[in-house]
Amino acid sequence: MMGKTKIIIDYTKCGNATGGIDPRTCGICLKVCDPAVFLMHPPLNVKEENPYDPQYWQITAVWLSLCTHCMKCVKACPQKAIKVIY
Amino acid sequence: MCEWCMKHGAGGKWYLNAKNYSDQLAKELNLEEYLMEQWMNFEKVFIRKVMGMSSIGLGYKLKMPIIGRVIRWQLERMIHSESKNRKAIRADGHFGQVIPIEDAKTIILNLAAEPIIRNYCLCRWMQRGVKDVCCINFGVLSGIIEKLPRFIPKNVKYRLDREEAVKVLEEQNRKGRVFTVWFQPVPYINAICSCETPQCGGLRLRMDFNLKTVYKAEYVAQVDPDLCQGCKTCVSYCQFGAIKYSPTLKRVLIDQKKCFGCGLCRDHCPHGAIKLVPREEIPALKNEY
Repeated sequence: MMGKTKIIIDYTKCGNATGGIDPRTCGICLKVCDPAVFLMHPPLNVKEENPYDPQYWQITAVWLSLCTHCMKCVKACPQKAIKVIY
Repeated sequence: MCEWCMKHGAGGKWYLNAKNYSDQLAKELNLEEYLMEQWMNFEKVFIRKVMGMSSIGLGYKLKMPIIGRVIRWQLERMIHSESKNRKAIRADGHFGQVIPIEDAKTIILNLAAEPIIRNYCLCRWMQRGVKDVCCINFGVLSGIIEKLPRFIPKNVKYRLDREEAVKVLEEQNRKGRVFTVWFQPVPYINAICSCETPQCGGLRLRMDFNLKTVYKAEYVAQVDPDLCQGCKTCVSYCQFGAIKYSPTLKRVLIDQKKCFGCGLCRDHCPHGAIKLVPREEIPALKNEY
């Protein structure tokens, strides 16, 4: 049986609340992943100026069990912010 | 008929019961506040911890012995919750069913409460970073979405009359999208989505984790072996992997157990070889939703 997959994202490189790029303008990992493992969302516990219109976004790999370790995201990420460990 | 027709269908299909669309029902359930909280926070629903756990790595969590079964039971309870204590922040009571285009048109033309709007698909935005104007929302939900700029389409008319909304349905059908109608929350109905796997939050939970966020339609597809020319057009439109081409028989085969009854194969068959039949007429499938 395949072990559990971990996908670690370096939020100093990706995620505009933590000093990284804005994933809304990049989003390459979202599009390159066939099973759509990644999710883009406003971070939890970040204060928004206008909560109706959040401006801080980050990426989390949510559907880890669907990852096949194809490494397309690792290769495609322009920030080199993604690590896939299995 | 599925259990929700029994509960909220008034003797028919749940999504054809006018009561479930009424402003009065929305008022009784105090839904404006509920839906605002849900939609303000929608993209966080899978990462937020609920009872100590989030959906991150859900597939592994569901496979844990005993605990996995408890998590599944709890999730199903949340998805279908009709309790007074349900939580908007985790979208309790939000689930739907696949419908073919004729039922979607019936809803839009006769049942949907005004105002009717179209907006950016939430799922495709959070899972693909793509803004796609395809979801149709109606009733009190429309007014709420209008206050959230990230869902409001730029440079297109987004408040629609019924005929314009039907045109949107036809356009999405041509593209190959699956229509789903949603309780949000049960029993109030306020959305028809144009879904695409795997970048759909509802179909993801149903197809990859077998949670009943989306029920199969009240119909299943059936192919006429004499009319099928083996062109395979339908195969490319099926999002559920239910159709394959048989080189031996020189026609397609439909796996009715996998079929969700969306009707896309029928709508795109150039030879009229596929029809939808009521699910309850097929003995092995009549309770398979």
